[in-house]
Amino acid sequence: MAKFLLKRLVMMVVTMLCASFLVFAVCEFTPGSVARKSLGPYATQQQVDLLSEKLKANDPLVVRYGRWLGVLVGAIPDPLQDPDTGLNFSDPRGAQYFGNFGYSTLNKLPVNDVIWDRLGNTAILAGLAFLFIVPLSILFGILSGLKEGGKLDRVLSVICITFTSIPEFASSVFLVTLFVILWPILPGTSPLNSDGGWPIGYQLILPVAVLVIYDFGYVARMIRVSMIGVMERPYIRTAILKGMSTRQVVLRHALRNAMIAPFTVLLLQINFLISGVVVTELVFAYPGFGRLILDASLFGDIATLEAATMITVAIAVTTQLLGDLGYMLLDPRIRVK
Amino acid sequence: MDKTTHSYIPTLVDQMQTGAIGRRDFLRKATLLGLSAAAAYGLSGLPAPATAAEPAALPKGGNLRIGMRCMEIKDPHLVDFAEKSNLIRQVCEYLTFTDAENITHPSLLEKWEVSDDLKTWTLHLRRDISWHSGRPLTADDVVWNLRRVCDPAIGSSMLGLFTGYLVEDYDTGEKNADQSPRMASRLWSENAIEKVDDYTVRLNCAAPQIAVPEHLYHYPMFIADPADGGVFGPGANGTGPFEMVEYTVGKGAKYKARADYWGEGPYLDTFEFVDLGDNPGASIAAMASRQVDGLSEADAVQINSMRNFPHVAVYEVQTTQTVVARMHPEIEQFKDKRVRQAMRLAVDRDKIIQTALLGAGTPAEDHHVAPTHPEYAALPKYGRDVEKARQLLAEAGYPDGFDFDMVTRPDPIWELNTAQVLAEQFKDIGVRINIKALPSAQYWEVWKTTPFSLTAWGHRSLAIMTLSLAYRSNAAWNESNYANPELDKLLTEAEGILDPKERSKVMAKIEAIMQDDGPIVQPFWRIFSTVMDKKVQGFELHPSQYLFAHQYAVSA
Repeated sequence: MAKFLLKRLVMMVVTMLCASFLVFAVCEFTPGSVARKSLGPYATQQQVDLLSEKLKANDPLVVRYGRWLGVLVGAIPDPLQDPDTGLNFSDPRGAQYFGNFGYSTLNKLPVNDVIWDRLGNTAILAGLAFLFIVPLSILFGILSGLKEGGKLDRVLSVICITFTSIPEFASSVFLVTLFVILWPILPGTSPLNSDGGWPIGYQLILPVAVLVIYDFGYVARMIRVSMIGVMERPYIRTAILKGMSTRQVVLRHALRNAMIAPFTVLLLQINFLISGVVVTELVFAYPGFGRLILDASLFGDIATLEAATMITVAIAVTTQLLGDLGYMLLDPRIRVK
Repeated sequence: MDKTTHSYIPTLVDQMQTGAIGRRDFLRKATLLGLSAAAAYGLSGLPAPATAAEPAALPKGGNLRIGMRCMEIKDPHLVDFAEKSNLIRQVCEYLTFTDAENITHPSLLEKWEVSDDLKTWTLHLRRDISWHSGRPLTADDVVWNLRRVCDPAIGSSMLGLFTGYLVEDYDTGEKNADQSPRMASRLWSENAIEKVDDYTVRLNCAAPQIAVPEHLYHYPMFIADPADGGVFGPGANGTGPFEMVEYTVGKGAKYKARADYWGEGPYLDTFEFVDLGDNPGASIAAMASRQVDGLSEADAVQINSMRNFPHVAVYEVQTTQTVVARMHPEIEQFKDKRVRQAMRLAVDRDKIIQTALLGAGTPAEDHHVAPTHPEYAALPKYGRDVEKARQLLAEAGYPDGFDFDMVTRPDPIWELNTAQVLAEQFKDIGVRINIKALPSAQYWEVWKTTPFSLTAWGHRSLAIMTLSLAYRSNAAWNESNYANPELDKLLTEAEGILDPKERSKVMAKIEAIMQDDGPIVQPFWRIFSTVMDKKVQGFELHPSQYLFAHQYAVSA
């Protein structure tokens, strides 16, 4: 088990290194220098050149990547905080520490000051959505999977497919029109402060609803397929023939086996919810991780993008690990190996 | 009139009385030369705006929330967009103030005087102003701020405005990688920015400059406390009506009113900016559910959907904001001026205004001088002429037109819409345009180097400010690579001419050059608009997009 975890940990670090290098390389091909971005569009070329020189922005890609990596692990101090740059950048944690993601050129703040709050906000949004997605999708999936092609299956399938095929921006506009403008019982945006007269709880309703509507149908369809597969297995037929009630058959025999494949799908939804909520966050002006990544990538804020990449890769690998561990628990055959 | 009045004021009065210049024009010129607005209004015979009486009627107290993008604001002197400056403006102030009528008043200054040759500007500070910290505002503070923006290492865009009369470019003697001489800039003289006494600063200019008061009102020209070292954030010192108590990038800012403010207001107890992101729908939704009391800006589409909200009032103002489609004249296709003329003749301005701005604009004439600019000279109008454009293209060697890329940005959406309508119209003369939209941040990286692009230009109260920045050979923001010695000469001449009649004559020549030879197609001037809750009082939309929270009040 320890060997398995260690192997996974090494894999995670390798994946993160590859991903971070890719981000670095991709940013290289988009126009825009760090100096120009720090000074804004109206600075003269002379000023930009001066800052580029101070930041050593003209070094080869590999050298700059190496420097970024060095700053991240705390091997070297962040060159941006050097007073010589005249940028007035300072990090309360110091210039040299492990986990130093550097300075965001977009926000002019240490990435660590920006990213964790945003991640926390998105975690709240994603967590609430997940709380609804799991039971809803399991319920819908099982009910429609029990009798493939039955009336209930058809009704639920239509609901699931319809909801999943409505893009988030469409459903959010629809919900806003309905509950904010025509029947004003909910706030139209979710800036996560209660100063506008709407409690934060109210502000979360619409964005969570949009995520749930978009996502639960997809997971339910996965569970349905898995359920159908299980219900056709001989041991279920035997159980039914033995005279067990449907309820007993489903809960005691089918459910556990039917959940093995969807379990991974459900865990994948965590990744989707953390990094894929961009549209929802944009529509509801929600100060989350997705919007931060969007702003950073439009602006070409490499430090923030790198940090976001590291975090999303870490979450992806961790959920994958959880998935594998869960698999072992659900399916004894895997444990034997 | 006392001795400090500029010697040219009596001539202006004469000209106004003989009808050579309009009364509004008189107001603009006279205040530029240091005459107080009250005195100028008195001389002009126009009723002075009733700002003094109204404020007393405004209710006190309460909180106001305005939706606006809240990006970083580390250094007040590096501000480059109206939104960023609005965050600082409530705390730090400018030496001057240009009102919605385009008239520049003293602000932190009590008054200014200018020499007859327009080279020596004496700025007198008000003596009743103190920082939040309690220390009085002095000439040393002002000198520090002015000198700081002139330091190329700081990176302030004020450097571009000041180059030519306070700042000069010089050859460092070193070479760049490509063997071209390495240039740098510095104050043209150690004495360029001079402290006369504790409340007087003198600008000793290398060349005559009429637009100094306007320059002192440009976004980054904040007067910040030297003790803050050019860093701005919650708790930063300022002379303004509010203190910033909280700021989170991408989320919002909170302000607390200052009790001992020297000027009008503030009426509010607290004031807030809320970041609603880039999605235009979010702003509408926030107005609908009254999570904000107003927006810093609302485009025509947003305005249309909010007109039906009973609690919302719409504000509109004509500005000198515009977009120019500019062609690099050294590029093969645009080398011949007949091609550039053809591009101008291909455009149906009214159609662009209707399609891209939903009507919120007025036609422009391809010379970047707006009818609302004091130095505007009316030239014969010309409309769309596809036949003539095709003929000009054929003469220039492009009987079948040509293909070309146009670089633009996708937001604000009206810019992209304009690019698309322009491309449609260019198609009619055989010029096939392929639009390449870059995200804003990346667009600003290439805005000066792409051969053909569409750039938005902000509001400026004087046309010579824009023209000198954008079309003078080698000017810092000369994005069109345009170089015409005749235009340069005329611009310098215009900057130094006081007589409005003579100046207008020079402007007519400049405008004619731009229409005949110039590098731009300029379809319109924008009408800027926004919305406020009807409970907001004292709000006036300023063409520069500046917001002044100390003028606003909320009724219960």
